[in-house]
Amino acid sequence: MLRQIIKDFVIRQFSVDAAVFDRPDLMVADLGLDSLGVVEMLFEVEDLYGFQVDDPARYAGMRFDDMVADMEATIRAANNGLIPEPASLPGKA
Amino acid sequence: MPLALPLHRVVVSGIGLLTPLGLTRTASFERLVRGESAIRPAAAEIGRWLPQALSADVAPAFAQQLDRNEQGLDRATQFALLASREALADAGSADWDLDPDRIGVFAGIGLGGATTGEALYTRMHEQLQAGRNPTVMHPLSVPRLMPNAATAAISMAHQFRGPSHTYSVACASSAMAVGEAYRTLRHGYADAIVVVGAEAMNVPGVFMAWNALRVMARPFPGNPAASCRPFDQARSGFVLGEGAAALVLETAASAQRRGATIYGEICGYGSSSDAQHLTLPSSEGQYRAIRMALEESGIAPAGIHYLNAHGTATEAGDVVESETIRQVFGDHADRLPVSATKSLHGHLIGAGGATEFAISLLAMQSGIIPPTAHLEQPDPRCKLDHVLGQARHGQSLQAVMSNSFAFGGSNVSLIARRFA
Repeated sequence: MLRQIIKDFVIRQFSVDAAVFDRPDLMVADLGLDSLGVVEMLFEVEDLYGFQVDDPARYAGMRFDDMVADMEATIRAANNGLIPEPASLPGKA
Repeated sequence: MPLALPLHRVVVSGIGLLTPLGLTRTASFERLVRGESAIRPAAAEIGRWLPQALSADVAPAFAQQLDRNEQGLDRATQFALLASREALADAGSADWDLDPDRIGVFAGIGLGGATTGEALYTRMHEQLQAGRNPTVMHPLSVPRLMPNAATAAISMAHQFRGPSHTYSVACASSAMAVGEAYRTLRHGYADAIVVVGAEAMNVPGVFMAWNALRVMARPFPGNPAASCRPFDQARSGFVLGEGAAALVLETAASAQRRGATIYGEICGYGSSSDAQHLTLPSSEGQYRAIRMALEESGIAPAGIHYLNAHGTATEAGDVVESETIRQVFGDHADRLPVSATKSLHGHLIGAGGATEFAISLLAMQSGIIPPTAHLEQPDPRCKLDHVLGQARHGQSLQAVMSNSFAFGGSNVSLIARRFA
């Protein structure tokens, strides 16, 4: 689900070709986002789950799927090992 | 860099207006001339707490002109982008033969990014109340709310690479931006400058702060649209507006090479500080700004044929301004048509100066002087040649003046004359 949220946002906001996301070795850098674009992308997930990624610069050299896995691990760590439904989070309309 | 001499003549070749009266220059000016007020009861989110609140808002349809990226910008920046686009098209800037390094963008804004700032604090408050982490903020919050967001957006949109300045001088912001752009061109530091005034702060928190100053108009019985009544005995204050005005300023040589339509030549700019009171105006400070503009223009007081007054409809403001006009113009004040158009479009604060200077230029070009609406019983302390009730048509206006007097004691006077 996280992957889909990020993918949809990047396609919508930065006009990245959807086919790019079919590449198994896709790197974050391949998306062509500048540093501001990366934090905009992260905000889409941060906003849903109420956390902030430490040191987003480290994602620049990562595979896209590793970044997604890292974010998922961060969310699980803060939620007893679970990924909560965004809509069920307190304060989230 | 030494001053480039001789001094250049500076003209206005394009105007864009996005105001509560209309989404274009023509729509705004025509409604003004018809004397139709844009003042209404304020939005429900404000009226809920302040049932007497009034405002003059831009019609929501403006947003249809924005592309996807522009939809994320602060509301004031959106207004600025659209007004400047109209002004540039009006000027025929597609035919400019100018070096982009010599084209600048100057802006005047009172409370930059007010909508973004309000949303930021609202979000933080809501997160705290819900027991959530308040540190997650949109990463573009700062670049959206910075006061120079408008100049950044316009310079990037059009690839203008000359100077970009932002002036924040409350109600005189964009009048000062016009004046400083005029000087910049006059002294040869650029060949063309897009000047824009923008303001969008009719959001609950900011609105309540304005309300606390006790300067806002009360609803006029039976007719809220008639609540802003400059120079009238029944005046009760101003109404917050929003919107943007843009003017394309360029050297006369540049405009003439292209055969551009010229609204007028800017020929006088004066700027002064009262250094007296935070909010109360001073006739002495206003007088000095107006005299400075007149002296630069070389036009005698009797040569000014229309004055767009600051005219906020506050008790203190209108009396002091009338005294100043009387002092500067003497007996000519009996024959100098004065109108306070805030009665119709509201007080656009940072965008006010550029809006009212643009209106003055449109009056000179069309020969139509818009009225001070709802002025039925002039305050005897404000004895002037008020344009009462209806617009005056068929006027031959050789030179016009627009004055803006700001909280903080900053005064700006601008003069334009027919280009010949």
